[in-house]
Amino acid sequence: MSESADTADAEAVEPQSSAEKALAASAAGGDERLAYRGVFQRLFVRPEIGAIVGAAAIWAFFWAVSREFGTAGGAASILDVSATLGIMAVAVSLLMIGGEFDLSSGAATGTFAIITILLVKDVGDLGGAGLSLWVAIPLSLIIALGLGWANGTMVERTALPSFIVTLATFFILRGFKLGFSKLMIDNLTVGRISEAEGRGYEFWEPIFAFVWVRNDHQLGIRDALYTIGVVGGLALVAFALAELSFVRREKLNSGGVPVLAAGVVGVVAGILFLHNSDGVGANTVGAVIIAVAGLAAFVGFGLWRFTPQAAGGVHIKDSLPMYLGGGVVLVLLGAICAVAFDVDSQESVLDLLGFLRWPIILAVGGGFAARAYLRNDSGHTNTLQAVINVASIGIATGFGAYAFMFMTTEQGLRSILFAVFVLAGLGLLGLAATQAGRASPATRGVVLAVTAIALAGLAFFIRDQSASEKFRSELFGVLLATALVVLVWGVISTMFERRTSDHEAADNLGSLVAKIGMGAIAVGMIAKMLFTTDDELAAGVARAQFRISILWFLGFTLFATWLLGRTKFGSWIFAVGGNKQAARQIGVPAARTKTQLFMIVAVAAWLVGLLLAFRLDTVQSVAGNGLEFEYIIAAVVGGTLLTGGYGSAFGASIGAIIMAMSKQGIPSARWNSDWRFAFLGLILLTAVIANNFIRTKAEASR
Amino acid sequence: MSDSTPLLELENIGKFYGNIIALQGVTTEVRAGEVTCVLGDNGAGKSTFIKILAGVHTHDEGVFKLEGEEVGFNSPREALDRGIAAVYQDLAMVPLMSVWRNFFLGAEPTKGVFPVRWVDKPLAKGIAKEEMAKMGIDIRDTEQPVGTLSGGERQSVAIARAVYYGAKVLILDEPTSALGVKQSGVVLRYIVEAAKRGLGVIFITHNPAHAFPVGDRFLILNRGQSMGNFAKDEISQHELTRLMAGGAELEQLQHELEAAIASK
Repeated sequence: MSESADTADAEAVEPQSSAEKALAASAAGGDERLAYRGVFQRLFVRPEIGAIVGAAAIWAFFWAVSREFGTAGGAASILDVSATLGIMAVAVSLLMIGGEFDLSSGAATGTFAIITILLVKDVGDLGGAGLSLWVAIPLSLIIALGLGWANGTMVERTALPSFIVTLATFFILRGFKLGFSKLMIDNLTVGRISEAEGRGYEFWEPIFAFVWVRNDHQLGIRDALYTIGVVGGLALVAFALAELSFVRREKLNSGGVPVLAAGVVGVVAGILFLHNSDGVGANTVGAVIIAVAGLAAFVGFGLWRFTPQAAGGVHIKDSLPMYLGGGVVLVLLGAICAVAFDVDSQESVLDLLGFLRWPIILAVGGGFAARAYLRNDSGHTNTLQAVINVASIGIATGFGAYAFMFMTTEQGLRSILFAVFVLAGLGLLGLAATQAGRASPATRGVVLAVTAIALAGLAFFIRDQSASEKFRSELFGVLLATALVVLVWGVISTMFERRTSDHEAADNLGSLVAKIGMGAIAVGMIAKMLFTTDDELAAGVARAQFRISILWFLGFTLFATWLLGRTKFGSWIFAVGGNKQAARQIGVPAARTKTQLFMIVAVAAWLVGLLLAFRLDTVQSVAGNGLEFEYIIAAVVGGTLLTGGYGSAFGASIGAIIMAMSKQGIPSARWNSDWRFAFLGLILLTAVIANNFIRTKAEASR
Repeated sequence: MSDSTPLLELENIGKFYGNIIALQGVTTEVRAGEVTCVLGDNGAGKSTFIKILAGVHTHDEGVFKLEGEEVGFNSPREALDRGIAAVYQDLAMVPLMSVWRNFFLGAEPTKGVFPVRWVDKPLAKGIAKEEMAKMGIDIRDTEQPVGTLSGGERQSVAIARAVYYGAKVLILDEPTSALGVKQSGVVLRYIVEAAKRGLGVIFITHNPAHAFPVGDRFLILNRGQSMGNFAKDEISQHELTRLMAGGAELEQLQHELEAAIASK
């Protein structure tokens, strides 16, 4: 600020030559230094962040409404669907980052499955080479590379939009699939790849179609591993976030270390106590021990490493009391509604209200009509038209209210009111926290403490009230943990000074610890998903089957992420998609890069084709047609820009998982699966808007 | 320094497109550690001039000497290999890519053995940061997308990149034209900085106020003709402005304008 003011002053005093101005600017240290960007701001530059948040939200949503979600079986079926979709989505996202589309990618998956099967099938004179799989698989790979090369070369040579060129290849492939299947075996169902038995089938089948049944694999220490991994991992991530957020002390204060150690020991003791005891009283005691010890651990950590700050006084003024009070009142209102309405009642709200229904309908209709009249929404000067307009708005909203009451049961109304009030209340509390942060650290600390109390109260309330066992046990833990996090954050962000500049050592240490923490969480969760325990087997837990396609998916995603982030080729992909002219000027072989991208997509289609062929044994000749848009949607949901130059392979794989979750979640929530496409459309729209928002936010730092 | 052979010597350079004379009779020189400014209004032949220097076009007449040796480039690559780097107005940058990726685009330093090769990210980031620091600009986070940098900073990334890749002669095509006053000042400082590091800089502009303070030599073009080639002590800023706008033409225009205003 002062720099620009200086320059402005200098200019105002006397006109200078531009060299003198340049010198003045340099004397003032006036190079455009980049502003410090905090941890979260830096995280938000990642293209996939929207997808990750979205995936978590959708998972939580289906977890709440369906029984299969959150079990190993559910995870296996989601991953199964996402695997083939995801491999293609990742490849397509690379191509889209490079600025091109491939509409033939869906049809290509089926094509390579059919080609491979036809190559090994022995049908005498008509065709079907009867080759060994050792020949057929490399041969179809070569054909795939050829197709990708042809697509790429055509797009590059003709300089036509890839949309049109690959639309043409899409139809050609579609025609070939039908034509060849009919011509060679006179059947639209092409099979079976298992006819290659004795010709390499035994070797290749497990590579593409191995199934791993989790119930066959027990691990006694699974739950311990899970608890240690998740709790320890979360703690590490939290410590890392603190390291990234606060100003380090010039000299470390060893006095904090015993507090930290005592806190950690306390948390472990609390968890062990919870594990070995039963009953509501013991659980509460355990929870309190963990909360107090956890808080102590973080405060000790802070005292050891970070610079304390003056908390300032508590100033609850301006709009803050309204937000704070409003938030608490809304949460309480939610609880009151949950108590007031009958949880088991299937009675319609209309009947529940009795004669009160008419005043309500009249009030709603009249209210909206009055609003329309007062705001002159109709915009008509003609009185008759205005009357008709206002009246129709009133009637429509009144009828809407009637229909809502008719369709909603008392039970439904209870959950709707509870969710709406509680979420609105928590939202208001969040607003209050940001407001309070501007007043003083202590004020924010108070608001966060109130929020933590509200969350803890909710946790106990839900445990006592909910009819669902899932909510009673799992949501209770989740809410309590969230309350603890909010409380800890409130306390330490009051006590210690937030960082406003870089600290390389702290940044490196912080991100390393965060990575270790996330790794530990992943290990815990994967162990929980992959293994069973004796207890579970005795209780007859459902079989969960993990297919090897999941490993291919994982491997391909890792490969593509490495390719994009760590290699020359990756830089070139971004460059040709972001600014082809510039890339060319500076010596990037743009045409070659794009052609190679088309070849990568074709190879992915070949891989997916083989996965399909070995899994299904027979492939329909329409297989894959029309799926190309799903790949594109998954890539876009994962943060890839439609116009190229921006995106992530990891994001695309998350996008594929989101789509798979909606595919699996809608039926498992007992909704008609016809609604799936409507849901997909909504997800796409939300994702595009959210990603766009995140990106403009990230780029608007200047 | 002026005793040594100039990096670039141009004598009576000319270029024709069919029967159109794009450039004729241009003579100037570029010395290491000096800034040669090429001034001219729109259509004066500045673009043709830099395209000849950067190897996009070949000259049709005259002598083009690089370090005393007569040359004629057939491609930008050839010019680049001989140490002539051009930073064009559009900067050849990918806005959504990070600073370090843009810096090394097309020539990323790699590690590992084929086929498993990866970009040496710490090295690349370190060099990018260091080179920018040499230009007097502190890029704290080289992961930041270039699109988030200001115009002046982007210009400095492009200049630093050209300098790093061993440019001996740096051609800057209108680097200040799209910038505000303060940003222009920053870029002018980079120009001086680059010259101080021993490069010969060719600074193309239509703004005499930008050219005069930093230039050691001025070549003025008008409608494809050279209006003169001056050392700094031979010319004043006022004279420079007058020549650039075509001298007499500007006076003529001034009279016309005054007449038009008077008759209102």
